Amino acid sequence: MTATFAILKRELLTYFVSPLAYVFLGVFLFLAGVFFYLGIALTGEASLRVMMGNVSISLMFVLPMLTMRHFAEEQKTGTFEMLMTSPVSPVAILVGKWLASLTLCLLMLLGTGLFVAILAYYGEPDWGVIATSYLGLFLTCGVFCAGGLFASSLTDDQVAAGMGGIVLLMPLWLVGSASSLVGEEWQARLDHLALLPHLRSFTKGVIDTADLSYFALLTFGFLFLTFRTLESRRWR
Amino acid sequence: MIEVEHLTKRYGAFTAIEDVSFSVPKGHVLGFIGPNGAGKTTTMRVLTGFLPATEGRAVVAGFDVFEDPVEVKRRVGYLPETPPLYRELTVGEYLRFCAELRDLPRADRLRRVGEVMERVGLRGWERRVLGTLSKGYRQRVGLAQALLHNPPVLILDEPTSGLDPAQNVGVRELIAGLAGDHTIILSTHILPEVEALCAQVVLINKGKIAASGTMEAVRAQAAPAYFRVSLHAAGVEPAAVARAVGALAEVKVVQPDGEALRVESEPGVDPRPAIASMAVGRGWGVRGLERTIPTLEEAFLSIVGREGA
Repeated sequence: MTATFAILKRELLTYFVSPLAYVFLGVFLFLAGVFFYLGIALTGEASLRVMMGNVSISLMFVLPMLTMRHFAEEQKTGTFEMLMTSPVSPVAILVGKWLASLTLCLLMLLGTGLFVAILAYYGEPDWGVIATSYLGLFLTCGVFCAGGLFASSLTDDQVAAGMGGIVLLMPLWLVGSASSLVGEEWQARLDHLALLPHLRSFTKGVIDTADLSYFALLTFGFLFLTFRTLESRRWR
Repeated sequence: MIEVEHLTKRYGAFTAIEDVSFSVPKGHVLGFIGPNGAGKTTTMRVLTGFLPATEGRAVVAGFDVFEDPVEVKRRVGYLPETPPLYRELTVGEYLRFCAELRDLPRADRLRRVGEVMERVGLRGWERRVLGTLSKGYRQRVGLAQALLHNPPVLILDEPTSGLDPAQNVGVRELIAGLAGDHTIILSTHILPEVEALCAQVVLINKGKIAASGTMEAVRAQAAPAYFRVSLHAAGVEPAAVARAVGALAEVKVVQPDGEALRVESEPGVDPRPAIASMAVGRGWGVRGLERTIPTLEEAFLSIVGREGA
């Protein structure tokens, strides 16, 4: 626990003493602002539905850039050797890093609170739906951060880790877009694999255990793969 | 304190170290020397639990490195070849992070960080950013990190590489001060440093142990002691003098060595009395008869060969 917390703190410190966190918050909030405006202008609804869908797609590209350094850089600079020769399990290291990126996501989501305030000022948003939308988006962040970490654990090259993370996550999106090409029977099956349909339930105000399990399974799966990669690095 | 038995590490078809065995008693400093790429860093990485061995066994501080890696890691302070620093943190932030990572009791953390900073000469450097430090200071921070949890075993991979002579002396004094309380493995290329600090030496070459034991044993094993003989024989050809010395039963090899002769004998045989009485018998003067023990450097070169030098 101490070690996980130490790593979480250290990662957050690194985010905020470098331009990294500020650039991410800035870029993300700009994108979210554009989607928020477009969503309102196109539908005329006082909701975050359009914004949430588009934001989740942009996170697919943004978050691997955030997580790419987590293991790649440590392996390049040699600090990984110190971590692995400390009396700390790889799980503690991994979870600390994942929580750090998730904390930054939380700040990013908090930043979009401004849009909610605007909605509340000019319209009458459904607070329940807004709450479940944020829950869905946060769970999505959990999946993307875990996937990005997995990509980062595979290489000591940050750019490769970032690109690899994007490529790893894209099928979760593409499988939904491509599903209409394969006929109805398969479309339904593929839609279960795609991320957006699961997120859509949350943005409609529905919390379904099937969707919760989908996100939990993907997150846990990616974290588990990362753990195995870290373990195996010692054996190669 | 450290027992290494038949350690072998292969990366695919490449054998990094093969059948390496040695032991270090408690409180001793072991000098770990060898050319670049000989397998020093690999061996140290195996001992710190960073790399598993392909074969063999290593026991550090009473725990098997492969069966109880966490217990071993608690008791080992490790300074890798490149100090493992987060460039964007300050010295204080970094050392406090390391203290948490090593799970020092909360109440002791700040005190220990202060103590090790004092010990390695970093007092007043707490707020400096690691990325802006010179090589010497980075090395000090690396050492501070290794000492933080006051480990009984220290594994230092080239702690003095890249330091200036004054810093070198500082680190050497620090290590000398740590010996006794700590069992230390020190890898280095600076052989006089090993001679000054280490009672025991392991010389590794191409992944295998080429020589090991006490400093004297390694020196003697590498290159036998020889004698420098300087005779004054007016009107006699130097070659004739050499022949006369070489004719003695106690002498094995004679080579000219500047003005003098370099004389080797069988181990345990001292040819000096015979040379002296021969010289006196012929009416030659004796300028000098000295026994020379090869330096560690000579030993190193005679074992490793001069291809890299």
